[in-house]
Amino acid sequence: MRICSLVHCGSGLRNMAARIIARCVRSLNQRSVYFNRVNTAATLTAAPLTHGRTFSHLTNGHKSSLAQISGGSFQVFQWRQYGDLPPLSLETIHDRVLYVLKLYDKINPERLQATSHFMKDLGLDSLDQVEIIMAMEDEFGFEIPDAEAEKLMTPHEIVQYIADKKDVYE
Amino acid sequence: MANPLRAEVAQLYKTLLFLGREYPKGADYFRDRLRAAFAKNKDVRDPEKIKELISRGEFVVKELEALYYLRKYRALKKRYYETE
Repeated sequence: MRICSLVHCGSGLRNMAARIIARCVRSLNQRSVYFNRVNTAATLTAAPLTHGRTFSHLTNGHKSSLAQISGGSFQVFQWRQYGDLPPLSLETIHDRVLYVLKLYDKINPERLQATSHFMKDLGLDSLDQVEIIMAMEDEFGFEIPDAEAEKLMTPHEIVQYIADKKDVYE
Repeated sequence: MANPLRAEVAQLYKTLLFLGREYPKGADYFRDRLRAAFAKNKDVRDPEKIKELISRGEFVVKELEALYYLRKYRALKKRYYETE
């Protein structure tokens, strides 16, 4: 997550907060933490900004991720979120893969393990497997070639494959 | 399991599933029908017969593409010319 201090006029900030919140609502599963923090940041800053206080000195070469508001006793964490998603880690890939699988109607979420085999353990057939791979393509936004797709038989293998393709190693 | 036609069938299923997302009656409707159609022939072992079925599937792909093309054409025509 890219972090930098954001000092802006009141309406701009509110706009941005609204946009961030809208995006967070779209992907609730993993970003609910940010949602809360951005939300509190927005409400905390709203009051002093409406009094027309200037913060221009903060923008000049101020690289810190914290914007300390003079006079206030609190520190404000502010996010600027660009068009890309937060960087993937093995953990987030794993969570997203399992999330997609849980939403698939033929899989019983209670029986789903990272190592469970789609056909042997979960009782799916090869057509289901194709559908799962398509769902993964949608989720992660890249195409998985058929030759490799048919080897992906457990959630763990899918995670490994995606991490491999996206250059994620830790 | 090492049937060389297996990959082709999976590919066909994937293509059809992808096209079915825009099906007028809904993607779920299409997916159920598609799965039933594939499941009906799951016991076919004869390579010639499988090839025949694959070419039938490819025919369906073309039909679907034509259907979407026509739908698009009609939508545009309706927007530009109010009455027939």
